[in-house]
Amino acid sequence: MRMGSNRRLANVKTRRETGLDYIMQSIDLNTPFGKKLLKETKPFYPGEEEELKAELDKVEAMTIFVKENSRLVEEIQQIFMEIKDVSYSIERSASQTLTVVEIYEIKSLLLSMRKLVHLGRQGGQMCIPEEYIPADTTELLDILDPRRDRINTFYIYDEFSETLRNLRGQKREFEIAIRKEQKVKRDEIKKEHGIMLTPKFDIVVAKNKPDFEKVKAIEDLEMVDQDYMTATFQLKANEAIYELMRQMDDLHAKLEEEEEAIRKVLSEDISRYADVLLDNCERMGALDVALGKALYAVHHDCTKPEIADEHVIEIEDGRNLQVEDILRSKGKPYCPVSISLADGVTCITGANMGGKTISLKLSGQVAILTQYGFFVPARKARVGLSNYMQILVGDSQSLERGLSTFGSEMEELKEILDHSVERTLLLIDEIASGTNPVEGLALTKALVEYLMEKPYITLMTTHFETVTETEGVINMQVRGLADVNFTLLNREIQYARRAERINIISKYMDYRLYRVEKQGEVPKDALNIAKMLGISSEIIERAKKYIK
Amino acid sequence: MGLLYDLSTKYKTLSIVGMAKNAGKTTAMNFLIEEAMDEGIRLGITSIGRDGESQDLVTGTEKPKIYLDQDTIVTVPTQLYELADAGLEILKKTRYSTPMGDLLICRVADSGYVQIAGPPAAMDTKRVCEEMMQYGCELILIDGAIDRKSIASPETSDAIILSTGAVLSRSMRKVVDETAHIVNLYSIPEMEEGEARTLIEENNFDDKIMLISRDGKVNKLDLATGLGSSRFIDDEIDDDTEYVYIPGAFTNSVIADINLKKLKRVKFILKNPTKIFLSAMDWGLWRKKGFRVNVLKNIEIAAITVNPWAPSGYTFDSDALVAAMQEALPELPIIDVRV
Repeated sequence: MRMGSNRRLANVKTRRETGLDYIMQSIDLNTPFGKKLLKETKPFYPGEEEELKAELDKVEAMTIFVKENSRLVEEIQQIFMEIKDVSYSIERSASQTLTVVEIYEIKSLLLSMRKLVHLGRQGGQMCIPEEYIPADTTELLDILDPRRDRINTFYIYDEFSETLRNLRGQKREFEIAIRKEQKVKRDEIKKEHGIMLTPKFDIVVAKNKPDFEKVKAIEDLEMVDQDYMTATFQLKANEAIYELMRQMDDLHAKLEEEEEAIRKVLSEDISRYADVLLDNCERMGALDVALGKALYAVHHDCTKPEIADEHVIEIEDGRNLQVEDILRSKGKPYCPVSISLADGVTCITGANMGGKTISLKLSGQVAILTQYGFFVPARKARVGLSNYMQILVGDSQSLERGLSTFGSEMEELKEILDHSVERTLLLIDEIASGTNPVEGLALTKALVEYLMEKPYITLMTTHFETVTETEGVINMQVRGLADVNFTLLNREIQYARRAERINIISKYMDYRLYRVEKQGEVPKDALNIAKMLGISSEIIERAKKYIK
Repeated sequence: MGLLYDLSTKYKTLSIVGMAKNAGKTTAMNFLIEEAMDEGIRLGITSIGRDGESQDLVTGTEKPKIYLDQDTIVTVPTQLYELADAGLEILKKTRYSTPMGDLLICRVADSGYVQIAGPPAAMDTKRVCEEMMQYGCELILIDGAIDRKSIASPETSDAIILSTGAVLSRSMRKVVDETAHIVNLYSIPEMEEGEARTLIEENNFDDKIMLISRDGKVNKLDLATGLGSSRFIDDEIDDDTEYVYIPGAFTNSVIADINLKKLKRVKFILKNPTKIFLSAMDWGLWRKKGFRVNVLKNIEIAAITVNPWAPSGYTFDSDALVAAMQEALPELPIIDVRV
């Protein structure tokens, strides 16, 4: 077993197939920090039961919080939506001068933090837990908001330095002086020659107009551009204007220097608060995740799992969330399933289309969600922690890699058996069904016997019913179509369109699992279903002959 | 009161659209901005896509930065922010991103030159304008499409300012005729409110050609394209057909094969005038034959700017051009942006 930071509870495929990835993606997060935090969530391992219980208690407290404070939660999320990830700029401030846009973004973040602190202090009966409230950063905000107007805008304001204010003042004076000088000239020209210059102090004259010679003769104008039809004249700059312009250039250089100096000082100020800022970002991320988890649990009717010391997985009325979402979108109900697992081998047998694989994945979903500190989709659940979890289920990816079903299965099985340790959860879906039944059965039986002796919880779906005869194997069976009134079902099927038939069968299917004590009562629903889906009775009758 | 003041009382947003590349769109923009400065109108400036580069990307001609006065509201992408010569106070970082970084809404705190850019998608322009309005501009100028064929939708702004100029043709007559043709097209009357209009609007979700009969029956033609559809339209027009709605491009091939008697009897309805791709001459011919047309939404033209100078080197007499244009379009203000 790999320990330390490299330790892995479940591989990518297991996280995907049990629906953990799906559920994590469905959690509504609004800050970049929350998204990062959720991605980095680590599972709890055996021995960490107390820490996990504490985490689940926190989730529980949060579910109560979100239920009772929906307005407040909305306001928090509103603030969160405006937050951008500026941690790079914060870190950069230690060694470099930030740009105006970066400083603006940090000011925006400070304003968001301030709003959160205010909400946190509003104090009803239920407050935001202290650990999620950002530390006070008013001092830094005051620096970046010298006018104290607390509006989400930024500029290198005059208030940042007296020098800046003076330089800008001078610049404006010069601009006005230059314009004034030009306006005086313009008025003179108008008076003397009756020629009106544009606000830009130029004029375009057509060469064939009598005006042209007149304008050309004006001393204070110079021709700056011409073609064969027209010429553009501009007001000549006189000595006074040249002098002002030269001074303006100097001013511009000084202004740039001063603005840069201010940005440098502000960057240093930000850098002094870097630790507080980054810690606040983490707090907001943690609050975002806590809210997201709680809201998800509330909306999906999830409950707090009980943590057991022994290695068990007990689920009462569990629902596979991924499948439930699909059914819900089609307006169909989900039939909850109960199952109870302990060390040893449990087999799920029963009808095709009976939801065996979904129940298998559900068991994994409840177990893995618990260990990642989430609430679980069941009326009640009791989970003992595992060191290792893996699911073995056929997927399209192995086919893409060019392996046959059986080949990839065996490859994965080897990996699983090599990695399994004490307190392992193995979920195996119809192994060896892709090879000849004689060898497939032999292999499955041998595997079951091998696993019986290990300290693992193994849950296996199979059509090899004799496997369940092995001493000690628990057999759970899908109720399937056993209690169905076939006359009714057949009548409905008869008039249905082809595409409808599968839906009708699902409607009659009882997905619940029952523990089978006696052997030999596996229902033969495969032929029934084949017939209902329109396989000709000629084939069905022949098949029946072979069963006898 | 000045031109800009008049415009600002009538419209909130104005797109400046060129008749062709180099028709003097940027020159017109600068002219209007200067006018606004003189009249003391608080402007908002944005653009459809990126604009204000110092070089025109298509023809390599010089394209000046835009000089903005204090308190103008302007959209600038993050990467151009630092390059601006003007002092810009950041008011908001929008969620629209451009190839030059996220788009900022800024207030000019210290006047100077700015390279402006707007959201890359034309449909976002409207939303950005609404945000800019909140910061108190009286009139927003949108540096619009480079030529009229790429106007995405007339809904982007309240009205347009059409920039035309010598670049269109060496013949001044032709410049005036083409401009007048476009103005005529854009001001095609809108279909009046009523049962038939409601029927079209309700059934127009899939952009199919529709025939509306006098008793309110809707006949949708299931054609992949309107191009070359005139035979089918001809087949479907009967004695009761009142309107023919064409959602897509309106070309010769849409009406060429329609029996003239039928053509006279029905009224064509188009989505908006930018869908019309007929030359001035063809347009006149069809009108003579009795072709009648309305649009669901027309395009209001607020003013025409003319540029007597063409980048390839020839120039018209400015006064003559303005006079000829004014004669052809007596209703509209004509502005020579170079004088």
